Amino acid sequence: MGKLYRTREGAITAVDTKTQLTTVGSETAPGPLLVPAGAKRISMIIAALAADLAVAADGTFFIRLEGPGLPEGPETLAIGAAGTQVATGGSYANPAIKIPLDIPVTVANEILIFAENTGEDVGTEQVGVTLVFD
Amino acid sequence: MSKTITVEADINAADTRTNLTAQGSVTAPSLVVPAGQTKIKGIIAVASHDGAADDGGALFFLRLGGNAVLGGEQVIIFGGAGNQTVQTGSDAAPNVMIPFMLEDVDIDVRPSDSINIAAEFAGVDIGDSAVIVTLIYGK
Repeated sequence: MGKLYRTREGAITAVDTKTQLTTVGSETAPGPLLVPAGAKRISMIIAALAADLAVAADGTFFIRLEGPGLPEGPETLAIGAAGTQVATGGSYANPAIKIPLDIPVTVANEILIFAENTGEDVGTEQVGVTLVFD
Repeated sequence: MSKTITVEADINAADTRTNLTAQGSVTAPSLVVPAGQTKIKGIIAVASHDGAADDGGALFFLRLGGNAVLGGEQVIIFGGAGNQTVQTGSDAAPNVMIPFMLEDVDIDVRPSDSINIAAEFAGVDIGDSAVIVTLIYGK
């Protein structure tokens, strides 16, 4: 079996607020992210962060993986940080990050992906996560 | 032996699935998986945006589907971008994304069937963008 790539994204609008990622762009209701048949583990996470830089502040970001699809329990991973000195004129474009992992999974069970802004509130951020199963 | 295909398109609206079907001066390159190639082994994806929208923040992701992709559509995040409108008289910062390169992709494909390569940016409008993707086939 080749690898399988499953993605969710969503917006974070408040600091220290657990926010579930439930959409995939034009797909507003893709449904639960179920561990695909034949998958034994999550071998990598690909994640990207996009902040609107609307607040002069500095913040960090992490994701939580939870749900019955993870027999060893929840996981947390730092995925990035953003800040700006003045809330006018900032801009950037960054590639996603890749995090090699070896997290066992339970087929046909759900994995929930959450993201949070910690530190200071830096405006509205979009967080996207791809789970790579093999 | 590796084979490659590169396609690109402009994406100018958030949350809008856009097929990547052009290749610069070639308007309609073949999207048939080459004979003998059974895997996508590598992906290069990169996007730029003009930042011509205030309070923009969006994620770029890729959709690989079509009859050639076994196991259903594969969706892969490859970047993020954001911007504030610059103040009058200020210099605008450049938006230069380093290409996202994914090795050992290992997506099963069926040779001689067509692949659909699409992309989106999700979130809040960041202005106009351009996306280009290379798939590296192998066995």
